[in-house]
Amino acid sequence: MPRLPPSLFWRARREISPMAAQLLPACRDLQSAANELRWIREHVQDTKSPIPAGLRVWQLVEKRGRGIPLQYVLGTQPFGDLEIKCRPGVLIPRPETEAYTLHLASLLSQDQPPPSSLSILDLCTGTGCIPLLLLQSLLASHPGTPISLHGIDISPHAINLARANHAHNISLHHLPPPSSSSPSTTRLTFSQLDIFSPSLIPHLLQSQPQIGELDLLVSNPPYISPTEFIHSTARAVRNHEPRLALVPPPSTGGGSQQQQQQGGITTEFHHPADIFYTRLLEIAATLKPKRVLMEVGGWEQAVRVIRLLEGSSSGVKGYGTVEIWRDEPAASFSSSLGTIKEEKVVVGGREVVVRGEGRGRAVYLSRV
Amino acid sequence: MLAAPWVCRSCARSLRRVGISQLIRRASTEAPARLPPALLERARKLTAEHDQLSTALENDFDAKKAKRAGEISRVADALKQFENAKAAVGELQGLLESDDAEMRELARDDLEATNTQLADSSHSLSVALTPKHPFADMPCLLEIRPGPGGTEGRFFADTLFHMYQTYCANKGYRTRVVQYEASDSDGQTGSEGEIALQEAVLEVQEAGAYALFRGEAGMHRVQRVPATEKSGRTHTSAVAVWVLPSFPENGTSESEADWENPESDFYLDPAEVRCETMRARGAGGQHVNKTESAIRLTHIPTGTTVSMQDSRSQQRNRETAWRLMRSRIAQQRREAREETSRQLRSSVLANSQITRGDKIRTYQYQQDRCTDHRSGLDAHNLPDVLRGGETLGRIMDSVQTWLVNKDIQALIADEEAAAAVSSKKEGKK
Repeated sequence: MPRLPPSLFWRARREISPMAAQLLPACRDLQSAANELRWIREHVQDTKSPIPAGLRVWQLVEKRGRGIPLQYVLGTQPFGDLEIKCRPGVLIPRPETEAYTLHLASLLSQDQPPPSSLSILDLCTGTGCIPLLLLQSLLASHPGTPISLHGIDISPHAINLARANHAHNISLHHLPPPSSSSPSTTRLTFSQLDIFSPSLIPHLLQSQPQIGELDLLVSNPPYISPTEFIHSTARAVRNHEPRLALVPPPSTGGGSQQQQQQGGITTEFHHPADIFYTRLLEIAATLKPKRVLMEVGGWEQAVRVIRLLEGSSSGVKGYGTVEIWRDEPAASFSSSLGTIKEEKVVVGGREVVVRGEGRGRAVYLSRV
Repeated sequence: MLAAPWVCRSCARSLRRVGISQLIRRASTEAPARLPPALLERARKLTAEHDQLSTALENDFDAKKAKRAGEISRVADALKQFENAKAAVGELQGLLESDDAEMRELARDDLEATNTQLADSSHSLSVALTPKHPFADMPCLLEIRPGPGGTEGRFFADTLFHMYQTYCANKGYRTRVVQYEASDSDGQTGSEGEIALQEAVLEVQEAGAYALFRGEAGMHRVQRVPATEKSGRTHTSAVAVWVLPSFPENGTSESEADWENPESDFYLDPAEVRCETMRARGAGGQHVNKTESAIRLTHIPTGTTVSMQDSRSQQRNRETAWRLMRSRIAQQRREAREETSRQLRSSVLANSQITRGDKIRTYQYQQDRCTDHRSGLDAHNLPDVLRGGETLGRIMDSVQTWLVNKDIQALIADEEAAAAVSSKKEGKK
């Protein structure tokens, strides 16, 4: 990270506020320091506390200046129309995730004919942001349709926070309270389960018999390799966000089970960042969801995941559509010039549609 | 003793002449008391339509018809009043020629009052006839930007911003600061603690605010000795104020505000708008944790750009940016349309259009004066104006009257032109 020139601190102190100068080491430029200072002040104004406002602003600025992510400092992050609570120990929702979740919701709402029921499974749910936002969008586009969402995470902190987020957004009237929308139609559950545990798939099959077919499997798994974690993550991420949510575990415990079940694949060399995708495809092969969306760390990883798809069992070969979504998948979708922006690439003998603008962000499979 | 000092004969004569010439009023800024026949014809037509509609409405109710009837009932009422006044004047004129001296005296007394009544009613008739501005019922956005030049203009932009804000607060209008951006150049403040403003957008959320504030659009000129000036010279700078109709957040059924409708001024083809987000450096996704939520929209055909970074939520920034973009484009379209219709009309109205280029008002600090160049009103309590007090209200009212008069003039010109065209056609036949 290049050193910030002292003149920048001087200017921040003179033009904005001495507190903006304190934020500079974390924000790196004047504009975002000014914005973050304003947001901190707005947050202090909007929340009540016996502590005087000036002191609270100072405390928050001091925390943020030490490099703690703003979302942990303020405790929230806007996600779509929702407000997601953030706590240390659980990954902060990213704007890219927001973009593809909204695009996914709009895809589901365009289904013809409208489905009689929807069942969605989110693996590695974290704050629960993806199922919550999907629920909000689907309630608007499919009023009356029974929707069942299930979020799974290994971390008990994450599960607690996801439940707290559900309650928080109900109290903010972003989501309807469970009683008013007749509990039989919408169901949102979070459970603490290990994705690599061999009992997961039987458990899922057992817990969701009444829903029948799964409509969507979505996941934002850890996808950063240990080397990348050291070299290419931002300092705030490395120092303050949970490693558990970012870096897949080395293929030990979980990996061995994987080898037992999927001998054919694991004999090949696997990138240390791709461990979760092998397992996700395995789950997809058993549960046979209509659509699968997996967030990936970049173009190379997206290509590797599609190659994995080729090599895996016959269950996942039924997906006729394979797409790579970029950071802003809707960028081409909403425009009439979309046909121009929509590229096509060939990966491992399969034609893959690429949507949107930015870096490769997600792999989308569909059999609809 | 003489009341006045001695004045020589030739001077006295010239003074007397000046006195006489000053008493004669050569030009009139009032609207014509006599209505042109074309306008009267139109009013009669509309009244006939109104009568027809109201009889139809008595039989069965139709929302569309009722709306139309409501729109033109103003004209019908005004015409009735006008005809009553006219009949009264005619009657009095008849009485004036009567033999009874006492009767003539009474008639003469009444005639004066009735004549003013006639003038009033003809004015209100022409006001009723002027089509309502299509955006008149909408809330508005006041966009304030300093003109080219130094920080002095920026300071004054901030003054204007606070002037409108406090004016709205005094009047009880709900406002919202959409954007308030200080300039990056330096951290000094003006004499009254103003900051150097780069751009500010204030939304007045009152329905009908557009009609109230549309007279404020244009260049506001300031003449004062800046706080930074050392040798005491007066500087002149300018601040541009744009008044845009604000697109209501929840879509109403009004056709103008319906942005989904391609006919509407607010319609934007999403394919023509490029949306950019400020990307984080590095790989993105889980690798970084950015808080930048800025959105920039570019309308490709016109090159209009809007950038928004006020909210932490990118989603909300995007919505605000789209609203602002819609308002700007709608205003541009309307201006373009007005420009073409203005060129079609005669040059009588050349100065009446309010666009961005015209200097409309001067704030003179040394003389404690605020002058509106269109209505010609001089107000002499500048601090009260800048505090958004009653004096500002007085100036804005004078501009309103001026605008209405201009609209009437435009309408008369239009009607006469139309009448001339139709009579020419008939002549050819």
